[in-house]
Amino acid sequence: MNLIDILEKLRTKTVKKLAYGILVLLVAADFIIPRHEIHFFGDKVPGFWSLFGFISCVLIIVVSKWLGHHWLMRDEDYYDK
Amino acid sequence: MISEIFNIQFMHPSAYYIIGGLLIPLFKGRFKQGYMLLLSILAFFAVVNMPHGVYGVYEFLSWELTFGNVDKLSKVFAYIFTIMGVIGVIYSFHVKNDGEHLSSFYYIGGSLGVTLAGDFLTLFLFWEIMAFSSVFLVWYRKIPSSVDSGFRYLLWHVIGGLILFSGIMIQYSVSDDLSIQYLPFHGWWPTDIQSLASFLILIGFIVNAAVPPFGAWLPDAYPAATVTGAVFMSAFTTKTAVYALIRVCAGSEILIFLGVVMAIYGVVYAVLENDARRLLAYHIISQVGYMVAGTGLGTQMAINGVVAHAFCHILYKSLLFMGTGSVLYVTGTAKLSELGGLYKTMPRTMIYTIIGGLAISAFPLFSGFVSKSMTVAAFGEEHIMWAFIGLMLASAGTFLHTGLKVPYFIWFGKDQGIKAHEPPWNMELAMIIGSIFCIGLGIFYKPLYALLPYPVHFEPYTAYHTWETLQILLFTQLGFFLLLKKLWCEDTISMDTDWFPRKGAKAFMWFVNKPLASFEYNFIGEVYEFIVQKPILRVAKWFKWIDTVIVDRTFSEIANLTLRWSRILQTIQSGQIQHYAMIMVAGVITLIVIVIILP
Repeated sequence: MNLIDILEKLRTKTVKKLAYGILVLLVAADFIIPRHEIHFFGDKVPGFWSLFGFISCVLIIVVSKWLGHHWLMRDEDYYDK
Repeated sequence: MISEIFNIQFMHPSAYYIIGGLLIPLFKGRFKQGYMLLLSILAFFAVVNMPHGVYGVYEFLSWELTFGNVDKLSKVFAYIFTIMGVIGVIYSFHVKNDGEHLSSFYYIGGSLGVTLAGDFLTLFLFWEIMAFSSVFLVWYRKIPSSVDSGFRYLLWHVIGGLILFSGIMIQYSVSDDLSIQYLPFHGWWPTDIQSLASFLILIGFIVNAAVPPFGAWLPDAYPAATVTGAVFMSAFTTKTAVYALIRVCAGSEILIFLGVVMAIYGVVYAVLENDARRLLAYHIISQVGYMVAGTGLGTQMAINGVVAHAFCHILYKSLLFMGTGSVLYVTGTAKLSELGGLYKTMPRTMIYTIIGGLAISAFPLFSGFVSKSMTVAAFGEEHIMWAFIGLMLASAGTFLHTGLKVPYFIWFGKDQGIKAHEPPWNMELAMIIGSIFCIGLGIFYKPLYALLPYPVHFEPYTAYHTWETLQILLFTQLGFFLLLKKLWCEDTISMDTDWFPRKGAKAFMWFVNKPLASFEYNFIGEVYEFIVQKPILRVAKWFKWIDTVIVDRTFSEIANLTLRWSRILQTIQSGQIQHYAMIMVAGVITLIVIVIILP
């Protein structure tokens, strides 16, 4: 089996389910992970960084796209006009 | 090596690049490749053999120039620059253009020169060598847009260099000392002459570190550069500036603010970007933001983090540029909207690029994890939570783009049916070396920590920290796949602060061509004719009369006189040698008589 076949195999529904399983496991395990470097309240809340990661990702995409469409994005020949 | 043979205590690694590089055009084919590789390896060993201390001090006019200031900080930067030199040289083996090789060699030599400089004049000299050699890496792409980008790149750097130079001059006038010293800038605005000097030097440095609003040259020039040129450029300019900032400006609080803004700014633009190499260029800005912020904090842990991050960053960012550069080299485009489905034809390049993406995203077991986390943790230690959260947010964005968006849209996404193949062997070899470093440093990080300027009391692989990172990254991945439709790339460019010079230049040219030209023609032209031209004509007429009547006639009379005398003399010129001899003897006798009689 070569590299390309492995990549084809990876794009299946099972892998997707596995990925969701890992996410659930990540949050679940956060309840028992020992905490030693507590800098602020977020470090005490189990699953805080999962939520943080997800919200950051959504915020970055939505806010940037909004900025882009309302202000920053131009046609590729914008400076030549 | 060479230093041992000739028993020289200190061999400047730039010498191999700047002097040795001159001979590159003399070699052909395999010998050229071998020679270039040899130089880059010799330069690396020159750094290995550098003992700490001050070397290469020369008197120039009334100043002392110091070329070799070696301590832990300069040595670790010299290490990574020479390692990157070797990787970059291998990646560019196939390039036929000697000019391109020379410019990258001078560029590397310049950044090594800045790193080892002990005084501001030497630093400035190499600083300018870097700017003027790297611009050729843009120009050698030889397409009209890269010519324009190159000129803009040069303008930004010339202006930055001048600001730096004015800071250096003020510093010299204040202290009468040009040696590089610690000159942090406090506050937001200079208050006295000493802080003005620090302020200008800081501005000069942050232009090269691509700190907004002075950073627009980077995403403008890097994607316009040649395939191999961009790999070199991604490594040297900004990291040399980070080195200079650490040495001179560490602890300047303004840098914390600028760094965090920069880290997020790069991420925002990366969302909008369609050109893969420009997207990566914006991520250089984002990553250098971590370094600038850490430098602003200035604690030992923060500085260690910054240096480690610069070290790892050079390796993974160059790997990413090599991966996307290979795609550009093979397919002729780096636009995400035109690529897709390349996993069938370039799977190995994909794996190297993903390794780079995982390293920049600070995935556990990859190099970014052991370096970025140290910088961010330093902010946690000092309880500067807004910066801590800001940098955490930016790391989600980093994974979102370089770890997910770039690989997804190039190698998966919509299959465009592009005919492609893996790049030449040398490009692949360079990517393999880069990948080994990215994974190796993530696992065996102790040797890197030992090179850092201060003792390290930081352990990256604690359970909580690893878990924290994994949660952020994998939930970012969830967000990516849920919002994939929104991320589809659009054929656009994004306005940046170079809007001001670019549109400003347009406005200036319009002003010159339209109102200024007609004002000049209609009003100033008339006034000029009346006040200047007409009186001048009158004076000129008078001079002409003097010229023809007095000067010319005098000369013609003198000429006539000479002519008459010549005719008389002509009779003496018989053409016979004995007559001349006789006249000569007569002359000598006359002379003797005069000499005897006169006293």
